[in-house]
Amino acid sequence: MKTLIVLGVLALIVLFLIAQYNKLIRLNIAVDEAWAQIEVQLKRRSDLIPNLVETVKGYATHEKTTFDAVITARAKATTASTVADVAAADGMLTQALRGLLAVAEAYPDLKASANFLSLQEELSTTENKVAFSRQFYNDNVRSLNTAVKTVPTNLFSGFAKVEEREFYEVEDPQSRQAPNVTF
Amino acid sequence: MNFRTMQAANRRKTFGLLAGMGLLTGLVVYAALTYFGSSGAAIVPVAVGIALIGVWGSYYGSDKLVLTMTGAKLIQESDNPKLFGLVQEVCIASGLKLPKIAIVVDPAPNAFATGRNPEHALIAFTTGILEVMDRDELQGVIAHEMSHVANRDTLVSAVAATTAGAIAVLSDVLTRMMWFGGGRRDQNSNSNPLLIVFSLLILVLAPIAAVLLKSAISRKRESLADATAVSFTRNPAGLRAALEVLARDSTVVQQRSTSVAHIWIESPLDGSSVSKLFSTHPPIQERIAALKAMESLS
Repeated sequence: MKTLIVLGVLALIVLFLIAQYNKLIRLNIAVDEAWAQIEVQLKRRSDLIPNLVETVKGYATHEKTTFDAVITARAKATTASTVADVAAADGMLTQALRGLLAVAEAYPDLKASANFLSLQEELSTTENKVAFSRQFYNDNVRSLNTAVKTVPTNLFSGFAKVEEREFYEVEDPQSRQAPNVTF
Repeated sequence: MNFRTMQAANRRKTFGLLAGMGLLTGLVVYAALTYFGSSGAAIVPVAVGIALIGVWGSYYGSDKLVLTMTGAKLIQESDNPKLFGLVQEVCIASGLKLPKIAIVVDPAPNAFATGRNPEHALIAFTTGILEVMDRDELQGVIAHEMSHVANRDTLVSAVAATTAGAIAVLSDVLTRMMWFGGGRRDQNSNSNPLLIVFSLLILVLAPIAAVLLKSAISRKRESLADATAVSFTRNPAGLRAALEVLARDSTVVQQRSTSVAHIWIESPLDGSSVSKLFSTHPPIQERIAALKAMESLS
């Protein structure tokens, strides 16, 4: 009877250890998956851009600086690889695209064209998807980092080779600007 | 109250209400035993079985069954790329799989979600809601519906319906047995008259109590879905604006079957409901107020 109890307690301890290890691995995989989703959405946005630029060019021929800004930002975004680099390029591209859409505001013919309207809808859904995949990634990083830092999972992080991960922080000048106060 | 505390509170309340359902079932079984002795006990598994068959079929096939009951038609991405884009956005935000998407031809703005698990989820919109709502509002509605999928509300309501059904069957059979069976077989098992009256009262009142509990659970799941929707979109203003559109709109979906009334985002029946206690949704103004409180936080 006594040995049975000892064996039972041992089995419970082993199960507990396995659960901690698996939790860390699972959280880490979730972060990887969330990161992959960001890359898919960024790629999709990147693929939309040439078409969008061509359409706007057809109506607004002399907005060269805006087009150049979008094209350089896109080129940077495709070469970035670390979390920080991708985030920085993403922020720049978002900014450049905002400029492009602002330009379109000045051309009523362009704004009314069916092609532009469907591109605009596609771009806004893609922007939202990028933003949501970012949010989902950061939520997953938060759970992972919490697990890596808190008892008891922190005791297993070395063994499971799971470390804290980097948050995806976008440098968006517009959202960081202090609001203008006028009296 | 932010969405995290609201989610926690609604989960706790659902748990409490489901426990209340369990307790009620226990009371009914106790009453049956007190009144009829062991012969009453035999009915319990039969009643649970009847309720299980009825509810479980509709739970398991909910996505297909609801399609026929509401006349919703499944659509492909090419039919409405904008709607698909919106649903994909919410799926990315929530980490859920893309559900089947359906359209109900009906001018009244409304939407619902069903399916036994996230893999068999179905989300449907009336043509009316797609016309009157803008991008942010629709996103809020989709997030609310996907929250029902994420929170497994089809399962929760199936459990509630099974228990309420079993209690109804039990109380029905037992009260009939009193009339026609001449009452108690085991005269010597329990002779305390107070206990007998008490169990009679339970048998009569239990079905009403069960329906009340079932409605209360449904209301809590609606509030929970509102809070979860905000956790997906982080934009309470979108869903709030959508609910305001629904509150202003007086048209209701033509198909008013009571059996599927609870799944719509705005109940087609509650307007005529006798009392707040029996309605499956919290009052829409209360939901708007809760979302406004979340807006003022962000």
